[in-house]
Amino acid sequence: MQFADFAARAAELEAEPGDHATVAGVRRLLGEAGDDLPTVVRFLQGRVFPAWDSRTLNVGPALLREAIARAAGPNVDADDVEDELADLGEVGAVAAAYDFGGQRGLSAFGSGSREPLTVTEVDERLREVATADGDGSEDRRVEILFGQFNRACSDEARFLARLVLGTMRIGVGEGTVRDAVAAAFLAETADEAEADDRGVHPADGDNPATAPPDEAVTAVERALQVSNDYGRVAVVARDTGRAGLNAMGLEVGRPVQAMLAQAGTATDGIDAWGEAVVETKFDGARVQVHHDGDETWVFSRNMQDVTDPLPEVVGFVTAELDVPAVLDGEVVAVDEDGDPLPFQAVLRRFRRKYDIERMREEVRVELRAFDCLHSDGVDLLDAPLTARRDRLDDLLGDTDAVESVVRTADPDEVASAERTALDAGHEGVMLKDPESAYEPGRRGRNWLKRKPDVETLDLVVTGAEWGEGRRANLFGTFLLSARVEGGESYETIGKVATGITDEKLQSLTDLLEPYVDHEDGQEVSIDSAVVFEVGYEEIQPSPTYESGYALRFPRFVGVRPDKSPADADTVTRVARLADEQ
Amino acid sequence: MFKAIVGASTLQDALDSVSVLVDECKIRLNEDDLSIRAVDPANVGMVDLTLDAAAFESYEADGGVIGVNLAKLEDFVGMASGDQLVELELDEETRKLNIRMDGLSSTLALIDPDSIRQEPDIPDLDLASEIVLEGAQLDRGIKAGDMVSDHVRLRVNADAEAFHIEAEGDTDDVDFQLDADDLIALTAGAADSLFSLDYLKDMNKAIPKDAEVTVELGEEFPVKVHYAVAEGQGNVTYMLAPRIQSE
Repeated sequence: MQFADFAARAAELEAEPGDHATVAGVRRLLGEAGDDLPTVVRFLQGRVFPAWDSRTLNVGPALLREAIARAAGPNVDADDVEDELADLGEVGAVAAAYDFGGQRGLSAFGSGSREPLTVTEVDERLREVATADGDGSEDRRVEILFGQFNRACSDEARFLARLVLGTMRIGVGEGTVRDAVAAAFLAETADEAEADDRGVHPADGDNPATAPPDEAVTAVERALQVSNDYGRVAVVARDTGRAGLNAMGLEVGRPVQAMLAQAGTATDGIDAWGEAVVETKFDGARVQVHHDGDETWVFSRNMQDVTDPLPEVVGFVTAELDVPAVLDGEVVAVDEDGDPLPFQAVLRRFRRKYDIERMREEVRVELRAFDCLHSDGVDLLDAPLTARRDRLDDLLGDTDAVESVVRTADPDEVASAERTALDAGHEGVMLKDPESAYEPGRRGRNWLKRKPDVETLDLVVTGAEWGEGRRANLFGTFLLSARVEGGESYETIGKVATGITDEKLQSLTDLLEPYVDHEDGQEVSIDSAVVFEVGYEEIQPSPTYESGYALRFPRFVGVRPDKSPADADTVTRVARLADEQ
Repeated sequence: MFKAIVGASTLQDALDSVSVLVDECKIRLNEDDLSIRAVDPANVGMVDLTLDAAAFESYEADGGVIGVNLAKLEDFVGMASGDQLVELELDEETRKLNIRMDGLSSTLALIDPDSIRQEPDIPDLDLASEIVLEGAQLDRGIKAGDMVSDHVRLRVNADAEAFHIEAEGDTDDVDFQLDADDLIALTAGAADSLFSLDYLKDMNKAIPKDAEVTVELGEEFPVKVHYAVAEGQGNVTYMLAPRIQSE
């Protein structure tokens, strides 16, 4: 497929506001893709590599601007491109606005014609970009991209630029691709699909004929869960249909998404399931361990390969397992007695690229496995939790890596298990439905994490803004910061404004005014002295605040006169809470 | 089979002429010469290097092809001082290149040649002008152009019998003119093309200042720049595609 055809389709999808029509558009594109089907599916999602593959292009916005500048020349530099970006707001639009192709290629003189870009070639070149490393590799990445942009027309350049940065902005989400794959390749009869293509059915209506059958969508969904590879699933669906999809299983060495838990209480779980399996909730980093009988890989919750930083986990698994297996668990840091250390100790090991051996001596880590997704050629995703735990016991039951669990219908027993876990230095307990299957990527009601009722953080007030109008002489908004571990510095994490009455604002203003450091217009910076307890719904990564996090829906709970800034929650704790949610 | 002994500086200069353009290349170990042809990732600049068997102290080869990481090979060869001899020998079993010099022997792992970018056929070009000049003159023109722009226009004024290296920046211009008298030789014809300095500067790095450099130039056509290496026992040809001149 020509890359220009792909770009034209992508432009149509971008202009299409309706979900049904978007699915129909993607379905047509998948039907046309031929041998390029897996690549086209990935490109639609802004990917060169499938989700299980942690390789990246390693091209940031600055490098991309450099490549665009070279293709746009003469006398266009990366700063000029940045100025354009400020005007147009988005790099795809910038790339589309330039007239590329001024620089000829040598082959144009050999064969006498300009060679158009193909989907295959763009894919190959981008993979080449990803593998470039070592001295001068940055130049090489720019050169390869320059060579591609140089041959791109406006629409091609737009989507090439976005693809490089991994965001297509065409309104094609994972659900769209899933539905389109089902509609394109698993429709009940070929006639129906063709009728759709001829536009016999209104594409934007709720016409049942355009919607793929639910079982087809479920089959695609399941295949996606086990493979994490939209490209391959599309090919299997097309070439071997539902039977092929159903035959797809886990592949050792390719991570799947982790199953996630919701917050809940013991009675929630027991009421719904009859009995609950109570597991220790470890204060560690979630990992998925793959062992093929010989080699071992460790993946993070985000499916990044963290094998290298964790050699003792690899060593342990390789020594203990004699059959291929995929395990779910946590990596915890432990002291000399094997007792758990706090989460930040694990962080010092996780994702580390350098000094692995030195850090290994400073922080000891161990595996705590709590689930078994695959064992000796058998996928266990659909098996009940109890059967998976039995299999886990068979594999590692006689090691420290597996802790015994409680199965009970008695909330008091859950509470006592939780006390035991907390006393041992763990974070608490997890409650799981004994009969539930393992659902990758799903945050369902089959796993519950026991949580205190309200999530709150104790944060230091480091700034405020004067209110407006009636409230002009009251602080209206408070800037909050988390403490940096081991020091007296603070990093901002967000602002809290809502939920405070005038009367309350007056007392907070009185409380904080003595600590005002300086004022700049409405904004006031305040010396660290006062601690607020703040509730929130979620912690999100944020480039805006110094801590790198922001609170979603922050809510003022109260002043904590009993706490000094030194007792406030740390950025590390925020990071851990963010990781757990 | 490949086994050769060569002066270190001869080999270093030859490899430099390729490494300014690419990081990896295929080396053809022909019976009568060693040759490398490589194109940059954007398919804009190409190098074609030949070292005759006569450029070596001794040379035995039977037509194999090896793939090398040039930076590594240059590092290894760079351990020798200019007048030292370097011995190269291909180990067919391990697919490694043994590199030996006085007091040092090293082994370089080779790359699968099939994994290296396919070089294009050399376009057969009919270029109307041929300019022969010293490497130092070309260097001066390129440096002058680089002051104001990232491209230079190479042009022959056939009537005035002069070669121009011109650059047009956002605000400033440069015109470096060489008359027939300044040049070693000039065949004047219609010739006017625009080239990226990113490439020309890299190529210029490898061209010795005292070399006699031949520039073949046409209208909106690639330029060919060639010069002799290894005291005439070898040859380097660069080819660079033009940027279309917008008027």
